[in-house]
This record gives sequence, C-alpha cells and structure tokens, in this order.
Amino acid sequence: MSELFVVGISWRTAPVAVREKLAFREEELQSTLRAMTAQLPVAEAVLISTCNRVEVYGVSKPGQDATGPVRRFLAEQRGLAPADVADVIYDHSGPAAIRHVFRVASALDSLVLGEAQILGQLKDAYGLSGGAGTCGAVLGRCLERAFGVAKRVRTETTIARGAANVSTVAVDLAARVFGDLRGKSVLVVGAGKMSTLAARHLRAQGATHIVVTNRSPEKAERLAAEIDGIAKPWDGLPQLLAEADVVISSTGAREPILTRALFKKVTKARRWRPIVVIDIAVPRDAEPALNDFDGVFLYDIDDLEKVVAANLAERAKAAEQAHKIVEHEATQFEQWMRSQGVVPTIRALRERFAQVADAELQKTLEHLARREHTPAQQREAIQRLVQLVVNKLLHQPTMALREAPPEEAALRAEILCELFALEPAAHGSRDSLTAIAEAPAAPSEPTESTDSPGDVPQAPERKAAT
Amino acid sequence: MTDPGLGESVRLLSVAPSPAFWVAAVAYGAASFALLAVLGGQQRLRGLAIGLVTVALIAHGVDIGWRGTQHVHPAQSVREAIGFLSFIVTGGYLLASTRYRLTLGGVVVMPVSLVLLLAARLSPAGTAPEELSGLGRIHISLATVGVGIFALASALSAIYLVEERALKRKKFDALAFKNKGAPLEALDRLSHRLIWVGFPIFTIALVLGAVWVSKLGASLDRPEYPLAIVTWLAYAGLLVARQAYGWRGRRAAKTTMVGFVAALAVLAIYLVRRMVGG
Repeated sequence: MSELFVVGISWRTAPVAVREKLAFREEELQSTLRAMTAQLPVAEAVLISTCNRVEVYGVSKPGQDATGPVRRFLAEQRGLAPADVADVIYDHSGPAAIRHVFRVASALDSLVLGEAQILGQLKDAYGLSGGAGTCGAVLGRCLERAFGVAKRVRTETTIARGAANVSTVAVDLAARVFGDLRGKSVLVVGAGKMSTLAARHLRAQGATHIVVTNRSPEKAERLAAEIDGIAKPWDGLPQLLAEADVVISSTGAREPILTRALFKKVTKARRWRPIVVIDIAVPRDAEPALNDFDGVFLYDIDDLEKVVAANLAERAKAAEQAHKIVEHEATQFEQWMRSQGVVPTIRALRERFAQVADAELQKTLEHLARREHTPAQQREAIQRLVQLVVNKLLHQPTMALREAPPEEAALRAEILCELFALEPAAHGSRDSLTAIAEAPAAPSEPTESTDSPGDVPQAPERKAAT
Repeated sequence: MTDPGLGESVRLLSVAPSPAFWVAAVAYGAASFALLAVLGGQQRLRGLAIGLVTVALIAHGVDIGWRGTQHVHPAQSVREAIGFLSFIVTGGYLLASTRYRLTLGGVVVMPVSLVLLLAARLSPAGTAPEELSGLGRIHISLATVGVGIFALASALSAIYLVEERALKRKKFDALAFKNKGAPLEALDRLSHRLIWVGFPIFTIALVLGAVWVSKLGASLDRPEYPLAIVTWLAYAGLLVARQAYGWRGRRAAKTTMVGFVAALAVLAIYLVRRMVGG
C-alpha cells in the first residue's frame, strides 16, 4: 500500500549554512516536483522551501519505499554527496509523517512557536504542487486537513497570542497606555532598522503622524521617505518630544540623548500627558531615570526582550494543548487513510456486480421486446434472469473456494461466512454450498440459450438446481 | 452631609431587610468571586460575572423600591443613603464595564458595594431622625449621588495606580497586564469626567447642608464638617490644577482617592454616631 512520508531538513537539524545549500528557489519547485514523481517511486509530492525548512511531503508508490530515493534525490539535486547531508536530513513515514505535517502547519515545529507565516507558505507550496500536477487525493486531503488543524490550534489555544518580537511588543506597550493608537503621533529618533519596523507596526495600528529626526538630515529624509513620515531638524528635538506620544530611539550616540534635564522641561511642556519612550539603542539613548517622571513610560531593549521571552513561555505552555489537538486529528486522519485502502476493492466489487446484472438484464429485456409474451412467460423470464445473475456472481468465488489449497480453504470459508453473515450448519451448509457451486458449471451457456427463440419459458434443470 | 437633626428624635424609621436584599447580597458576593476568577485567567466566567453584577443591581433596586413602599426613603437617613450609594456605584460600574474591560475594577467595587449594602441594612438602626425637612432630603440625595460618582472615579483611579505601577516596574506578567485591562489614558480621562459631573452636585449638596444646619441653629463644630470641606477642596483643586497646569496621571489619581476617603470618613462618622445613638 502507498504511504505518506516526509523527507527534509529544518532549523532543528541543520544550521542556516547547511539549509541554504539545500534550499530551492521558487521557480525551481515545479520542475523538481515533476522530476521527483517521474524518476522516483513517488506518486504524489509537495515541496516547501523556506528559510527555516526544506521539506518534501509525499505519497510513495504502492509497496515501494520512497524515503531513501528522495533523500538521495534532494542531495544530488543540489550537487551534494548524499552521505554528507545524511545526518541532517530526517524522514518520517505513515503516522509519524501525518503528525509532522500537522505540526508544521500549526507552527508547532517553527522556530518562533505559533508564528503565522508558515501556514501561508505551506498553502503556497500546496498551490504550486497543484500547478505541477503532483498533488493527488491522499496528500491533498492530508494538507487540507493540516490547514484545518492549524486553524483549530490558532483559535482554541493561546499559542498565537502575545507579541513574539521586539517591534510588536513596542506596539503592545503603547496600546497599554493609550489604548487606541489612532491619531497618536510617533517620533523616530535615529535611524536603526528596528525603529523602522516598530514605526511601521505603529502606523499599521493607526498612528497617523510619524516624524523622523536624525543628526544627519539626509538620513532622516531617507528614512522618512521609506516609512512615509516627515523629517524634522535635529535642533528641534525638545519641541518634537513635547508633541509626540510614542518615541522610538535608536541612535548610535555614545552618551544619552534623552536626559533627565531635557525631560524635566519636556514633561512640563507636555502638561504631563503620557509618553511612551522605546529605547532600542545600545548603548542606551535614554537615561533610566526618565521612568521616574509621572506619565513617562520608558522601556529599553532588555525590557522588550523580557516581554518577548515571557510571551514565548506562554506559547510553549499553549503548545502542550496544541499537541493534543494534533494527536487527535492525526488519529482521525489515519482512520481515513486506512479506509482509503479498501475503497478501490469496494468500488471494483460493486462495478463487477453491476456489470453482470446489467448485461443479463439487457439480454432479458431485448428478448421480451422481440414478441408478445404471456404473463406466465414473463414471470418465467424474470426468474431465469435472477437465477442467471446469482449463478454468474457466485461462479468465481465458488471456484476459488473449491480449488483453494487445503491449508487455505478453511480460512477462505471462514472469511466468506463472516462477509455474508452465514451460519453454516454442520451438514446443511456444505450441501447448499455444493449445490450453488454445481449450478454455474457452465455459466455462459444459459445466456446463449436465451438468444435462441422459442427456448424462453424453459430452463427447467436450472430451476431444479436451486 | 450635614444633618444635625439626626438622632434628636426617637421615631424608629426602618424596616427589616426584604428577600431581595438577601438575593442582592449573595449576588454581590458571588460576583466578587467570579470577577476574581476572571482576573485569575478564567476568561469564560466573564459573562457569568457580569450577569451576577446585573442580578445584584436589579435585586438591590427592588430592595430599595420595596423599602420605598414601606415609607423608608433612600434619602431619609444616612443609613438608607449608604445603601443607595452602593446601588449607584454598582450601576456606574456596570455602565462603564460595557465599554472597558474593568475586571480589576470589579474586584475592588463589588466587595465595596457589598460591605456598604450590609452596613446599610444590618447595622443597628438606632434611633431614627425626626421627619426630615425637604431641604434635608435634597441635601442627603445630592450628597449621596455626588459621593457615589466620586466613588466610581476613585475606583478608576485605584485601577490606574495599580496598572501604572505594573507598567513602570515592567511587571508584564502581572495580572492586570495579562488581562489587558482598560488603557491608562482612558482610565485617567474617565475618572476626570466623572469628577466634572460629581463636583457640582456635591457642591450644591454642601451648600444646602450648610443652609440647613444654620436654619436649625445647630453648632458647626462637628468633626465631619471639615472632612466634607477636605473632599470639596480636593476635587476643586484637582479640577483647577488640571485645567490650569495639566495635572493628571498619578498625582490626579491620588488626589481623587484622598477626596473620596474624606467623604467616606464623613459617612462613617454619621453611621457610628447613629449606632451609638449620639
């Protein structure tokens, strides 16, 4: 039977220096997928390549192992010796693979627990494989389910709550003081990358007025253009501070810029309206004593990191609950997989029965249409039809039972009894089995005889056999 | 809060608590615990807690109404006024909690309401006052409403101080922070607005009280009078300082609470005097 598998590397097993060697560019993904399904014992495949993981989710061809060939394939595609990366590539099959896919989608396997990006990346990868025609029913169903699990995990646990990076923590803190950030103004002092990110987040939360100031006017202009703000001269800093609600400071200055003496004037000029000062510079731009002023809320990089750490700890707690959801869903999916194993058999059986019944029915109907029949003749024809269908259907199993090797005969008989809910009496059952087995000794003959006109109402010996 | 007529007459003017009172008392207690549980992280109990507050408020209102039918008016005596004060505070809290997450505030306000209600209904009635003049009734009514509004402003100030402390000390795992209560600026603003509303009412009550006292020709040297003046000065000063110098935040919150504590002291003196029958 074909089986789900996962082969890949992630931040858990390999440093970025190794991950980047195995990474695929987006335009390579589809051709790689096609090559995989064409050359390897892989029936279905999805390939995801992000900065934190390169993974193949696939379904092997029936009865074949795909993980070994895929491992070699991944290494060779990137011009690496399979032995060199054998230690960092992992693989999972069957139930473990299902759980892995569910965990990845739910961001339980992510570097930042509960992050939202991976789900989108996974959906993209799924879409790409659809375009390449390498994603089939089993894998498709598995991924669709994984997206459902991810949604459950996000809504039923607290894993995605609380800011998980420094720039969103800054926004959270400002919200604790101001609530709604709409209409609030932000002052960016200096031009660090972090302050750019934080300013963007604040704008996204509704802060309307973003002012940038820097010792170098050109740098201020450049950053202002980048984040859609206004550049103001450095000399006006005290006035700018008096007008701002949130200050993000990240200059490269060696000495504090936001000093106690400065803020003594600033707070008075602000009439003690609250101000949040986020100091992400090292060495720090703000004197710690600013925090003592009524209405001044000062946070340095350590404070922000502490919040991030606390939030991540909360997420780790939530992850335990999330794992339970994954386990539950994976078990259900396994059941579905197992039921999929017998579905083709059921379908073939039904088709076969329908075929036989249809063929016989057709012949009888044609026969009846040829000329007038008395009701008795018609009844006779129907009885014959049923007889023929039963005989034809039972012919094959009966032969299989009779001609079975002695050691298997009992087992086959037992399975038959179970399948058809038979309760064979010691002798009676044998007799009736034999009787049926006898009947279709020449299963195709009766059908031919119906074709010959005038022969219709007969077939008495068949009747006797029942 | 100046009614020197209290205690002079010996007409009993109180009735036993109604069944609605017991319902209210139990609901206040249950609401206190439910809100405490919500604060502790049991977010799904939030609806239940607010429901209990609502039940308490309704039962409390029914109790006051029932006493009215028994000719016990809410502004008849300090004892009754305290029960009415508790009702106003709860109503105000319920109103404010429709806009902000005031779980922490509820944990403070609900037990206070319960204690006030119990004090109003279960303290010894002592000797009831003589029939109050219209002036006296208006004085007690307005003073009760004014102090009720100050009580709400003080509760918000208390929350402000707790949250501000957590933010300043960077205690981000503190309960208040985790539960994302009302933002500081909103607490400050709401408290200020309440004082704007309460202050004129309280001022009129104070003036009427003074007129009443002088009409009765009683002496003005009781300890509650300067305390009432302290309350008035605290709020008057606060409004002026905010308007003129932009006073707000921690200082404003503390002043608000000082004014309310003085008002509470006035109430307590009245109540104690009634119990000892002075």
